[in-house]
Amino acid sequence: MRRYAVRQLVQLVVVVVGISMLAFGILHVIGDPVLLLLPQNAGKEEYERYTKLLGLDKPVYVQYWKFASRAVQGDFGKSWYTDTPAFKLVLERMPPTLYLTTAGLVCALLIALPLGIVAALKRHSFVDNLCTMAAVAGQAMPIFWLGIMLIIIFAVRLRVLPASGYGTWQHFLMPAFTLGAFLAPITMRLVRSGVIEIMNMDYIRTARAKGFAERTVVSKHAFRNACIPVITVLGLQFGQLLGGAIVTETVFAWPGVATLVVDSIRNQDFPVVQCAVVLLALIIVAVNFVVDMIVGLIDPRIRIAA
Amino acid sequence: MRRWLSLGSALFLLLALFCPSPADAQTREDTLVYALQSDVDTWDPPNSVLREAIILGYHVFDHLATRDLKTRRVIPNLATSWKNLDDTTWEVKLRQGVKFHDGSPFTAKDVKASFERVLDPTKKMTARGNHAKIKSVEVVDDHTVRFKTDGPYPLFVERMTALVIHSEKVLREKPHEWVQENPIGTGPYKLVRWNRKQEHLLVRNDDYWGRKAAFKHVRIRIIPEQATQIAELVSGGVDIIKAVPPDQMDVINKSGQARTATSPILRTAMLQLDQAARGGPNPFTDKRVRQAANLAVDADAIIKHVLNGLGDRTATAVNPMAFGWDQGLKPYKQDLGRAKKLLAEAGYPNGLDITFNTGPPVVEPAIQQTNDAIVADMAKAGFRVKQNYIGDNTVLVARIKEGKGGPMFNWSWGYYSVFDADAILYDVFKCGEAYSYYCNKELDDLIHAGRSTLDQKKRTEIYVKAQKLLFDDAAYLYKWGLRGVWGISNRVEYQAPADEVDRMFLATPRKK
Repeated sequence: MRRYAVRQLVQLVVVVVGISMLAFGILHVIGDPVLLLLPQNAGKEEYERYTKLLGLDKPVYVQYWKFASRAVQGDFGKSWYTDTPAFKLVLERMPPTLYLTTAGLVCALLIALPLGIVAALKRHSFVDNLCTMAAVAGQAMPIFWLGIMLIIIFAVRLRVLPASGYGTWQHFLMPAFTLGAFLAPITMRLVRSGVIEIMNMDYIRTARAKGFAERTVVSKHAFRNACIPVITVLGLQFGQLLGGAIVTETVFAWPGVATLVVDSIRNQDFPVVQCAVVLLALIIVAVNFVVDMIVGLIDPRIRIAA
Repeated sequence: MRRWLSLGSALFLLLALFCPSPADAQTREDTLVYALQSDVDTWDPPNSVLREAIILGYHVFDHLATRDLKTRRVIPNLATSWKNLDDTTWEVKLRQGVKFHDGSPFTAKDVKASFERVLDPTKKMTARGNHAKIKSVEVVDDHTVRFKTDGPYPLFVERMTALVIHSEKVLREKPHEWVQENPIGTGPYKLVRWNRKQEHLLVRNDDYWGRKAAFKHVRIRIIPEQATQIAELVSGGVDIIKAVPPDQMDVINKSGQARTATSPILRTAMLQLDQAARGGPNPFTDKRVRQAANLAVDADAIIKHVLNGLGDRTATAVNPMAFGWDQGLKPYKQDLGRAKKLLAEAGYPNGLDITFNTGPPVVEPAIQQTNDAIVADMAKAGFRVKQNYIGDNTVLVARIKEGKGGPMFNWSWGYYSVFDADAILYDVFKCGEAYSYYCNKELDDLIHAGRSTLDQKKRTEIYVKAQKLLFDDAAYLYKWGLRGVWGISNRVEYQAPADEVDRMFLATPRKK
């Protein structure tokens, strides 16, 4: 297990370095940053002064080294737009998004696991068809629309939940469900197909032959194995979930990092974009590392193969 | 495994529920909630061009003078009286016994420091242009100041409503960055905290010199999505929202929870055309193309059908409520034949392609719908318009300021709430100003003449000439004066303000 973990960690470092290069590159792909910063009527002198100020007169590898060594210390420079350190801005907005995505993930699992298993066990039954239809509907439903519908039903009509905002547990329910409903369909279908496949395996037949109750067979033998692909996919879907968070945050006035990133891209506020990209990538990488570890724990074949 | 999963989800849930909840002593009854679509960039009003910054500024700061919302006249505030000593000197008496939020007394040197800060060119304050006519500020005694102006300055009294008074001590002791986030004023509310792009919490200033606010707390929430704002209003989460789209008024009025209120506001909307070629050569440098654009659009129909009548057609960008407005000038009427002819004469017999930078409905109701209607009208005359939506208003404004607004873009001007033609002509039409894409020496001379005499009759004549010129030259694509639509909760009494400065300290609980 340790060797497996070390190997995953080495891969992780390579990925992080790659991402930092990409984030550094953002600034250089979109054109001359000095031209973006300066007013149009600025003269040549002003241009050269800014180039020096930003350190853009140095060779690229020197610039990258400077960027990377500062980034490690949490210094991504000041936001060009609000004049505050980019790291502070991003860090402030990170927790709401993490809470939201985590809650969305939990919500997705709470929907997907039971439905997926039931659908698999009662294959081609009415229940299965219903679940499949719900999944298709869920996948087809735009997050934006679902969010507004929930607001209209639970906040405006029933008056049981606050329409938007952030702060109490009630504020979590609708955004988490909205985001969960976005992830649930694919997870449910994955659980379903996983369980179906496994229920036809030899060891399930063996377990049944040994006289275990069907419940034990499903929960101990089938579910555990069906979890492996689900967990892997959930790790990969985490990035998607952050994408869904952008819309969810806008609809529910949720003060998260996803809307900050979009605003900053629009503002061409590159220090903030760079900082957010690196930190979000770190989180996604970390989540995937944890996922790999869990899968390794569950499935000895994987860690032995490594 | 199941245990693992359930343990995991329990942990996740705990984490999720453990998010910081604002532990304030405020209750729903003593708190007024006001929603804005976008946040301010700073808490230093003279350093911002945003309407939101002006509104927030009114709550925490005071101005020398303010506007009576009923009569629309300027009335004393921190100043108690003013008079001209001669054509270029104004003497202002100041209120005694006023205290800043940090406890220091308000005196003449605070006024001097506030004005000098804005006037200092090295500080690059956004509001500098508004006050640039002031040459110097002298302290006569603790409660008297004298302003020397560069020539006669007819807007002096109006402009006293447009600059917040900072504490001299704060400006001297604290760095610029600190002032951007920590407003210390003399106003009816104090800032408790600002969570960027989330909310501002204000608490009543119980030592306020004037009428004290009815609500102890004001929460100003940033809710970008309009549908969400309306849902919050009708579900009781928010008390006052502004810029309600006309097609949503019914939803609010039928909810039994809230109502709408409308008022003509001192804001004219237009599409700026890059006559000055700030973004490089473009078709609108040709007068005939600009005229064709004006002739293509049936603004009256748009006001009637898209805005449900909530707009007042104007011949130019000068608002009917502003001093100097020329009642006799008739607006452009749609005339597609003439528009096409003009385009052909200008060298576009087969029409032309135009990029149109559009913005969100932050201050202008139903802006997307009216844009669509305008674009459709323009297409009939041969303009192939491509809309480029910029969702963040602060970004659009920043781009426009830099000269990157494009050949055509959404613009509206709230006059910094100064009810005078000069307040739009100078900023939006004068050569070289940050928000002007028009440049005409003849007009500049008129603008200059208009602000150089205290004789109001002469000024009126000058502005009539200026409007004629702007109309004939079709400087921009003129639209209409706006009417604001507010959504107001039934638990609150609130008067929709004509100067577009929402004042939460004037809101009162509704008697049951």
